[in-house]
Amino acid sequence: MSFLKKVGAVLGALAVTGTLLVGVPARAAGKEVTISHYFTGDLGHDAITKIFADFEKKTGTHVVDSPTGHEDFKTAILVMAAGRNLPDVFSYWAGARTQFVVDSGALRPIDDMWKSSGLDAVVPAAIAKGATLYNGKRYLVPFGYHYAGLFYNKKVLAKAGITAAPGTWPEFLAACKTLKAAGVTPIALGSKNRWPGQFWFDYLILRTAGPEYRAKLMAGQASYTDPEVKAAMKLWKDLVDAGYFAKNANADDWTDAADKVSRGDAAMTLMGTWITGYWDGLKQKAGEDYDFYEFPVIDPRVPKAAVGPVDGLVISGNAKNAEGAKELLAFLITDTQAQAAWAKAQGALSPNVKVDPAGYSSVMRRALDVVSSAKAFAFNYDLATTPPAAEVGLSMFAEFMNNPADYPQQLARAQTQVSEVFKKK
Amino acid sequence: MQRSLRWWRLALLSLPMAVYVAIVAWPLLDSFYYSVTNWNGFSADYRIVGLENFRALYSDPLVRGALRNTMVWTVAAALLPNLLGLALAIALERHVPGSRLFKSIFYLPVCLSAVVVGQIWVWIYQPDWGALNGILGALGAPQSQRAWLAEPGTALYSIIVAWSWQQTGLSMVIYLAGLTSVPQDLVEAAALDGAGYWRRLWHVVLPMLKPATVVVVALSVINSLKGFDIVYIMTGGGPFHASDTLAVAMYDESFKRYRMGYGAAISVLLFLITLGVVATYFRELRKLDELTV
Repeated sequence: MSFLKKVGAVLGALAVTGTLLVGVPARAAGKEVTISHYFTGDLGHDAITKIFADFEKKTGTHVVDSPTGHEDFKTAILVMAAGRNLPDVFSYWAGARTQFVVDSGALRPIDDMWKSSGLDAVVPAAIAKGATLYNGKRYLVPFGYHYAGLFYNKKVLAKAGITAAPGTWPEFLAACKTLKAAGVTPIALGSKNRWPGQFWFDYLILRTAGPEYRAKLMAGQASYTDPEVKAAMKLWKDLVDAGYFAKNANADDWTDAADKVSRGDAAMTLMGTWITGYWDGLKQKAGEDYDFYEFPVIDPRVPKAAVGPVDGLVISGNAKNAEGAKELLAFLITDTQAQAAWAKAQGALSPNVKVDPAGYSSVMRRALDVVSSAKAFAFNYDLATTPPAAEVGLSMFAEFMNNPADYPQQLARAQTQVSEVFKKK
Repeated sequence: MQRSLRWWRLALLSLPMAVYVAIVAWPLLDSFYYSVTNWNGFSADYRIVGLENFRALYSDPLVRGALRNTMVWTVAAALLPNLLGLALAIALERHVPGSRLFKSIFYLPVCLSAVVVGQIWVWIYQPDWGALNGILGALGAPQSQRAWLAEPGTALYSIIVAWSWQQTGLSMVIYLAGLTSVPQDLVEAAALDGAGYWRRLWHVVLPMLKPATVVVVALSVINSLKGFDIVYIMTGGGPFHASDTLAVAMYDESFKRYRMGYGAAISVLLFLITLGVVATYFRELRKLDELTV
């Protein structure tokens, strides 16, 4: 008994305190630039280490690197912010999340560096406008970006007799019908982690109501109960009702969906260009085994937008070595060698127009063409609207996949929650 | 002599006390403090909002759902792994051939990290090729097949089963230890008086296992309150929050919605619940102690 009691007492005490712990990070100081980012493992750890070494060789400034895994990074950076321990430079997602950090006063503007490094001539105008400017000032340097398109299994489409990529909505529906008749699930979606569903919402609303309306919706100036949003959700519902989506989307990860396509169980999946990195790792050949086409045009009067995320780098407001940090940012965006190496390692597109496209695969070269010719570049949903609102929408998309018939009620509930978020701002 | 002894005690205690204050007491108080602020995690500019966060907690459907799920889990945690653990312990206590092997096998899941357990069960529940739907199909019950973790009606229970699978081994071991302390002569005396196996179990063995039961129930209830890692791996709280626990809700609010103050308020709520459970637990332990003295 007394042994049990002792064990029990210790475990009990640990349990009470264990529910409420916050870490206290430490940090080294000195003449150097500190950086924290989520480019670990497959997301480009080796490439970035080499890029930092090149920077050191060139400038003599030492880069103190503390990388964190992509999911943990979201937590880690907040813990560092809480302890007023942000590194000089850290990676962040351009769009609403960076806006959030800017509004919190935790970042330092880089307009002077932007001008002195001539970045207007380096960064494509659409990305410079959408990703780097916040409240009229420059805060972020784009480091790489991605584009979401309909990636498909070439052999499966060919076998079903689809030779031309569907460019319009009727063509797309016809292709889905043909594929289904041939016994292939037309569309795979792995929305277990919610975000993969957002690209459907993004493109449906962008292709019907247009980029301007969508920007209003993302800013809380339009309502999820508007006819525009309902119309987009109706199109999505019709696809699900027709049996064009693989069953149990919420049971699958995006990689499960990618596997369904590469195995030939499904024909296509709407996903970011990072899927090329995943497939290349599985020895799938770009342009031979897989390819992509643009999300089809639904209303020809609506200007065509491309959707994707931009990985950026920012300088913290309390940076100890702000000048060194600016030097590092300038190097990372302007050095074409670093940019090319980085794009290759990540399966990303370079936001530096001077990078030679010859280094890309045929598929990535076409993705670059699509983005360059698009009338607008829009961030995907969870980067386009403020984080608390994005959480509401992401859950709604997952719920929709389980229960598409209920979309009017789902939209009404989402609007109630989202309007609360924007009221508080 | 006495004085120098006291000095030594203080000196020796000061280091562990400093560590305790720095990494346990201070963050704990910090959480209480942030729970009455509207801090967003980044901004230096935040203010004290009093009990507003707690008022909001009360009417927040997501927090209510998470609280309900945590309660369901807690009740299940008090019963499921412990009844199974008890049954296993009683079955394996007798020195039948292979009992040691089975003890090890049933204990094995305890040695795995929750992440590994979660992933194993994600595969078991996988709708297309997972073992569970496979078995249901082979048994001729394909109408019972479903996407266990992707449907709001089954997600939470599926996680609780996976979690209990791991927890059962721990309960079994504690019950096995408890069984060794049941005096054999008492059981034999009951047998001489003509009590059959079940009567001996019910009237002699089980009452003697009360101390073990208190520990086992308290441990699994406390573990269930902390339920985060296995949920995070298996569903992330989904689909659409159907399997959120308070710990998951706290994480989502703090790190996905950037509402640190509100997240801290949820952690305070969880802390108070845990405190209640632990207080009950210590009271029970003390009662037992008085009985045995």
